[in-house]
Amino acid sequence: MSPDYGRTELMAVVMARSFRDGEVVVMGAVPALPLAACRLARALHAPGLSYIVGGSGTVNPAPAALPLSSCDPDLAPAPCTLPLPDVVLLEGRGDALDVFCAGGLQIDAYGNCNLIAVGDWARPKLRGPGTVGLPFLPAVRRSLLYTAAHTPRTFVERVDFVSGPGHPSGPGEERAYRQEGPSLVVTPLATMDFDPGSRRMRLATVHPGVGVADVQAATGFELVLPPSVPETPAPTEEELAALRRLDPTGVLQD
Amino acid sequence: MPAERLSAEEAVARFVSPGSVVGVGGMHMTAAPMALVRELVRARCRVGRLVTSPSASLQADLLIGAGLVDELVSPYVGFEHLGLAPCFRRAVEEGRLRVLECDEGSLTHALYAGAGGLPFVPCPPGIDLTGIPQVNPELFRQVEDPFTGESRWAVRALRPDVMLLACREADEEGNVAFGRFPFTDRLMALASRRLVVQVERLVGSAELAAHAPGTTLPAFLVSAVVLAPGGCRPTAAPGDYRADEDELRAYLEAAREPQGFEAYVARTAAGAAR
Repeated sequence: MSPDYGRTELMAVVMARSFRDGEVVVMGAVPALPLAACRLARALHAPGLSYIVGGSGTVNPAPAALPLSSCDPDLAPAPCTLPLPDVVLLEGRGDALDVFCAGGLQIDAYGNCNLIAVGDWARPKLRGPGTVGLPFLPAVRRSLLYTAAHTPRTFVERVDFVSGPGHPSGPGEERAYRQEGPSLVVTPLATMDFDPGSRRMRLATVHPGVGVADVQAATGFELVLPPSVPETPAPTEEELAALRRLDPTGVLQD
Repeated sequence: MPAERLSAEEAVARFVSPGSVVGVGGMHMTAAPMALVRELVRARCRVGRLVTSPSASLQADLLIGAGLVDELVSPYVGFEHLGLAPCFRRAVEEGRLRVLECDEGSLTHALYAGAGGLPFVPCPPGIDLTGIPQVNPELFRQVEDPFTGESRWAVRALRPDVMLLACREADEEGNVAFGRFPFTDRLMALASRRLVVQVERLVGSAELAAHAPGTTLPAFLVSAVVLAPGGCRPTAAPGDYRADEDELRAYLEAAREPQGFEAYVARTAAGAAR
């Protein structure tokens, strides 16, 4: 039986479930998916959630349709708009923001992200757009990583350039940061978290219709595998209906 | 002192010295000062160092594609959901552009430092765990925290020689008001030695004050006001027009190859508003 929801919609639902009431979430470029997740969480279980949409600095905007750009003029009627330098101040402050939604051209086994360069930095095979706010990942309470591309090219053992720091890669690696770091990774195939001992990425759930072997084959390093991997609960009717109300133009339907 | 009212051609000729440090405003595909940028391209004005907002798009890619940029300070050049920046990519991958790698946090604090007269400033948290400071000794150095003795990264102040900015309105004197999103443009303006502002319209001072209390820049900071209605196109001007995504896609398609880029420039920049 073919599911009656898209994989991006499932990602939005999974991300929404991870947000807790009262948290403050910040997101960057191409915000449709995390924005939908934040609005869904507010509609269902986290009415006190706040979210900042990237470069616009808008707080809790609720545009009629999901915008594709983080600076879309349709975000303007937000109840509050922070000038972008204020957002940067709060990102650095460390106690103002709870969740940073991030991704990368590459994401590695320890949750490091790379938006700068694949290959050698000085003469890259692929020059990425740049890292914008990802160096702040260790400064916010936790980060939520997401990508539409669950492939061995995206999920690599070690990123070529750390532009968004993840977990320490060795037990001896001392760090001044006392935040949680990457806590959840959401892709079209699965959700992952991080093994508390090794800090390596661990398969948490596989989406309906996806096997553990499929996820491992699409990942360029060995995932930590728990004895049993449950299936990601499919969106409930309530979740899907609420999601489609805030996405009337079907941006998330693929 | 009132700002001068000039054409884009006059303003660029008067205030943008070839080889100088040029700041460009606009965030992603919104509020890019394209009328002024197109004039730089038309006049073949070389930029010694281009400093962008935390996320640039066409305003940077066009100058890079035209071969006019020696050095780039930018945490992002791209087109969000529309794709990567073709000329920026090609120039870096072929080793033709010197990138002074940075992030949004260090850039913003470097601009605060520039605006406030600080020679450098300690970096906000996180960057020490990235590879960025190591590849950019021009802007990042390690310093000792005089209070704790701990080592941390510092970033050198940024002070563009001239900032090119798109604002919504100006009055007769040259006081200018931003649209709904001031982005980092206002901070960049405060950090820059000279300021050339393109605006959608001229209004009376009372109207300006009523429209945008608190989001203005005073005329004494503004060197020149250039009236350029529609001058952000194909990027958006919030409150006036949306981004023209068809045109942006046409650019991205054309700029995939150098010849296509040249044809695009011939079509759009060669006849820039005088």
